[in-house]
Amino acid sequence: MNCTHARRLFAAFWDDETTQAEREWLEGHFASCPACRRDYEQYARTLELLGSLPRIEASPDLAERALQRARRSETAPDRLPQLRPQWVPITAGAAAVLLLTLTVLGPWLSGSRSPRVAQRAPVGQSVTEPVLVHSPAAPSHGAARAIDSRLPANLAANAPLPDSLFDHSADVEFILDPVTLHRGRASVTHSSGATQGERAVITF
Amino acid sequence: MARVSEDEERAFTELVRRFQGRVINLISRVLNDRESADDLAQEVFVRVYVHRRNYRRGSKFSTWLFTIAANLAKNEIRRRVRKRHWFSLDALQDLLKDSAPILADPTEGSERSMEREQLQEAMARAIGTVPEKYRLAVVLRDLEGLPYEEIAQVLGIPGGTVRSRINRARTMLKRKLQPLLRDEGDS
Repeated sequence: MNCTHARRLFAAFWDDETTQAEREWLEGHFASCPACRRDYEQYARTLELLGSLPRIEASPDLAERALQRARRSETAPDRLPQLRPQWVPITAGAAAVLLLTLTVLGPWLSGSRSPRVAQRAPVGQSVTEPVLVHSPAAPSHGAARAIDSRLPANLAANAPLPDSLFDHSADVEFILDPVTLHRGRASVTHSSGATQGERAVITF
Repeated sequence: MARVSEDEERAFTELVRRFQGRVINLISRVLNDRESADDLAQEVFVRVYVHRRNYRRGSKFSTWLFTIAANLAKNEIRRRVRKRHWFSLDALQDLLKDSAPILADPTEGSERSMEREQLQEAMARAIGTVPEKYRLAVVLRDLEGLPYEEIAQVLGIPGGTVRSRINRARTMLKRKLQPLLRDEGDS
């Protein structure tokens, strides 16, 4: 018990933060307990050694270098998020593999999702120019239904068009059922005419 | 610091020259890496300059400076741990094993001086093996001589925790160095 208490006082004794009573008690204990005295001597030698570690000199030009870098930092944002260089090839590689996989398996994957795949023409052959169709609910510019002449005849006949594109002049929002697409230019893929607006390429 | 806040570059240079030794010692002892310490010390002073207007007048500049230095050192330790570039406890034990026969047979003169240097080297490495939170506290206290209250401010922890961490670190260092420390009675 005495030895445990004595060891608890080592730090305060070294830092000269013990009370006079504590100091006297500890010195008395050291006189009667060689193990604790030896333990404290090793403790003190460790801290002497720690405190005696040679001081390291800074480079003579540290102040100038710091000032130059500080000036540059003031003109640039303080902390830009830095991409770790070692992640760049990994990320790029993963992206390349993903892109290659999508390119190779894309048609097969998209085809396997739909039971109507057999009815479709190849994608490359069926992309057409953007087709603008005025909304029946919001006719504009007095035109009743200005459907582009390039739209297949059977598609134009299917009125009303639940998934047609609406023209709002300059502020255009293309809507494809069931997904609302964002602003931009759209080109619609028509496969056989019966699958109107099913596939779209959006360019922003 | 007040002059630095008013954009006096000359005052900043003076400030760096005055504190660079303490900052570089703190960082190099915590990291046990002299080369990186120089770059990191530079980063400390860059941050001081960039954030000079955030310094609250009336507060102790060294506390603010050591807070920045301690945080950067902590970040660097964590980065190294992630990258596994930090030397391991096994490496330290190898070092102690190698140097033990030399140290067990000390003689006078230059060999004694060599013993001292090797002990210091062992101590520097031992500091690196102490867990980061204890290491920073003990370096601030026993190498930089900061009072407990200031260390509490620098590390943002209560004073009691500071004392406890310093005591733990000292005990760890004593245990690690014990095989190399000759007893007074033996010499």
